[in-house]
Amino acid sequence: MARVCEGEGLSSDDEGTKDAYLSVVDLHKRFGGIAALRGAHLTVHRGEIHSLVGANGSGKSTLLNVLSGQVFPDAGAVVLDGRPVRPGSPTRALAMGIATVTQETTLAPHLSVTENVLLGPRKRRNWYGIDWRASHEEVARILEQLEVDFEPKDLVSRLRTDQQQMVEIARALSMRAKVLLLDEPTSALSQHEVEVLFRLIRSLRDRGMTIVFVSHRMSELFELVDRITILRDGQTVDAGPIVDYDVERIVEKMVGRAGRLRQAVVGNDAQARTPLLSVRDLCVGTQVRGVSFDLAQGEAVGIAGLGGSGGTALLDGIFGSVARAAGTVQLGSALLRSGSIRHAMANGVAYVPGDRKQLGLVPNMSVAENLSMALTSDAGRLRRVRVGRERSLVQAAITEFGLVAKDARQSCSMLSGGNQQKVLIAKWLFEHPRVLLMDEPTRGVDVGAKRDIYDLLLKEKSKGLAMLISSSETEELLLLCDRILVMFRGAVVAELQRDAFDEATIMHYAMGGAV
Amino acid sequence: MTVTTDVESPAQKRPLVRRRAGRTASLLQWMSTNQYVAVFGLLIVMFVVFTVTQGRFFTAANIRVLLTSVSILWMVSLGLTVVMLTGGYDLSLAAMVGLSGFMFVGFFSTFGIPALPAIILTVLAGALVGGAVNGLLIGWLGVPFLVVTIGTLSIFEGTTYLVSGTQTISVTSGLLNSIGFSSAGGVPITVWIMIGTLLVAYFVLRRTYFGRDVYAVGGNAAAARLSGVHVTRTLVLAYAISGGLAALGGVLEVSRISAASPTIGNTVIFSATAAVLIGGTVLGGGIGGIVGTVVGVLFLGVLQNGLALSGLASSWQEVVSGAIVVLAVLFHQFQHKGYPLLRRQRPGAHDDAAAREAQFARGRGTDAPRVDTHVSA
Repeated sequence: MARVCEGEGLSSDDEGTKDAYLSVVDLHKRFGGIAALRGAHLTVHRGEIHSLVGANGSGKSTLLNVLSGQVFPDAGAVVLDGRPVRPGSPTRALAMGIATVTQETTLAPHLSVTENVLLGPRKRRNWYGIDWRASHEEVARILEQLEVDFEPKDLVSRLRTDQQQMVEIARALSMRAKVLLLDEPTSALSQHEVEVLFRLIRSLRDRGMTIVFVSHRMSELFELVDRITILRDGQTVDAGPIVDYDVERIVEKMVGRAGRLRQAVVGNDAQARTPLLSVRDLCVGTQVRGVSFDLAQGEAVGIAGLGGSGGTALLDGIFGSVARAAGTVQLGSALLRSGSIRHAMANGVAYVPGDRKQLGLVPNMSVAENLSMALTSDAGRLRRVRVGRERSLVQAAITEFGLVAKDARQSCSMLSGGNQQKVLIAKWLFEHPRVLLMDEPTRGVDVGAKRDIYDLLLKEKSKGLAMLISSSETEELLLLCDRILVMFRGAVVAELQRDAFDEATIMHYAMGGAV
Repeated sequence: MTVTTDVESPAQKRPLVRRRAGRTASLLQWMSTNQYVAVFGLLIVMFVVFTVTQGRFFTAANIRVLLTSVSILWMVSLGLTVVMLTGGYDLSLAAMVGLSGFMFVGFFSTFGIPALPAIILTVLAGALVGGAVNGLLIGWLGVPFLVVTIGTLSIFEGTTYLVSGTQTISVTSGLLNSIGFSSAGGVPITVWIMIGTLLVAYFVLRRTYFGRDVYAVGGNAAAARLSGVHVTRTLVLAYAISGGLAALGGVLEVSRISAASPTIGNTVIFSATAAVLIGGTVLGGGIGGIVGTVVGVLFLGVLQNGLALSGLASSWQEVVSGAIVVLAVLFHQFQHKGYPLLRRQRPGAHDDAAAREAQFARGRGTDAPRVDTHVSA
């Protein structure tokens, strides 16, 4: 009885509703002009491991945030154990028995395991205060169920990431949670740690816990999960037992169209053109593990991958904003120094970071000041600012890049997202770079500005600019790139040539599908 | 002054600031974009009130006294402005004023260096200590600025007591005397030095690339770094400037009292912070400037001088200036966040807008909208 929800905007599977423990009906949520959820359904049975599956931006996280009380929905209902509930705040969600374990742990690192598990007023008390012995004993009993290798008195900051997740799960158990929401719990874990976590999740399920699990890894779905719900563009498009699915079927539902799996080239294809940028065995922290590729003049290479697969870290490692752990980056005849932004810039590398607000622009400075910041970064510091040239830069940004700004002195924070992004890209193009690194070039940008940015980038590419674009929007990569590298857990797992471009294929590899 | 509107692509034209009619509206707008303008208005009002009520207030002699009395505050505030614009703070300036007095005594009396080179050496030494100790610890090693400058405050203070033996040491120098007591063109030399420093500081902050760096580092250090700005160098220089200006303030004080005293400047850091905040430079950096700080300094100076002439207890000055600091900063937040500030602005409050921003920043969940229209390549 799988795939009851074929097509667009259907309701949850009716037969399942009978023994549904947690269900979500027709959930809608808008953030400003963006619809994050527009008709999401979810039916989770008691004592099952249920997975939410979807591409970046499909609404998984928003749906989880509604369930955990962090986001209030615009419309729709949440039904828990037959009763409609409104988990309007995290505290209320917890009181109803819905606990969340996220990838960023919400623990107090300098306190003990006991203090974190029995957070706040839930510690045992005696007549003169907190009864630490009883509290430790209570936590020890919970930890025993979890079969973990740490003690209640241990400091959380001393624990490994997977152990910290266990502490969060222990906290959920101590609150007698009935539903456990796991948001990409495996993203920071090693293979062995994942196995331990999975064993724990299964044993929790066998004891009646209901588990909602989000993961970007296909293999984990088939290994762990009982049933799945697939989201696309904020809508539930399919749901059913995992046994009714195979990789192709899931990918097809996620991207909304069927596609024959195209042939990918693994590793580095011999390039016809001479490479301009050569990256060899690049490692950045634990996020990028041994990536090698070439980029030629006038070529655009895309980096596809789901959240946390390492695209941003790869760009950081090349530009030098994060020091490289290993590997070399060669541009022309120059070997770029690890961790030196200015060396990279001097050699003609530009980097448009994905987080415009935090890394891209100085919001309180003017359009002119932001546009000239990179260009004048090697001017004599006591030299007079060339105001006239700045004005002409603004003028150029307006005529060439379609920037809409009131005047050169307008503060960047007053611009719309699309115009801010144009400022950010223009700021780097004025440097006349040889290689442009871009992370999410159109995040949070309206459709009109998106088109402008694509036109602009394609024009620069035809003029010989080499581009490396990391994006979670596959369509954008299909449009802009000559080649796409698909990353999974920090490694390039597939390389697709233009004739093999296909959303389903990219998704297949991005989720760790076999080559 | 025109009203700020976001001239967006024709499809989505929406005003960010609601258009208000009339001249008062544009005056309000101007005031709301320049915080110190409101304080400047208050300064004028106060000036007029004191002129009317106190016959001795608006006399050349009193104005001279008023201006020279704020000379240390002026120097320390200018330096502090630069540091606060980078997003930092320099508590050690309080002790640098006193220490520099004794550095001057050391150069001038002990080593017998002539007065002018000794002054220059003192200022350079202040800059060197500020930049090399505070600047490197903060900008290079990333130690929090409060930790560093609380430490150096104590170190400088202790050093001052050690070298002075807690004694006030008198200094007699013709040059210092003329700095402290002579005038040129009816304006005291001290005031000329103050004006000169102001002009240089204004030029450096507003007209040079270094000034740009100061604002960029305070506005968004990560973005500045990714744009190739030397963040460490900027911070080191900012703390060097504040140290140097505080040393100059110390020299001016020596010239005023013809002696170096270990307790000079101990409380000036609080007034200086008040002046900088009143002047619209924000804690956290990136916004504000020298002109506002000067307005803040004059505000405090006029307040103190006028109250003294009125025969009111000088404690009133502290009460009023304290209240003005809080009101000025509240006013500033109001300008930035608008009316919602009055509705709800509790620390840690969680709302949809904040959640949305956080999610955008993380790039998860409510990710960017998908392209609905395909673009033809």
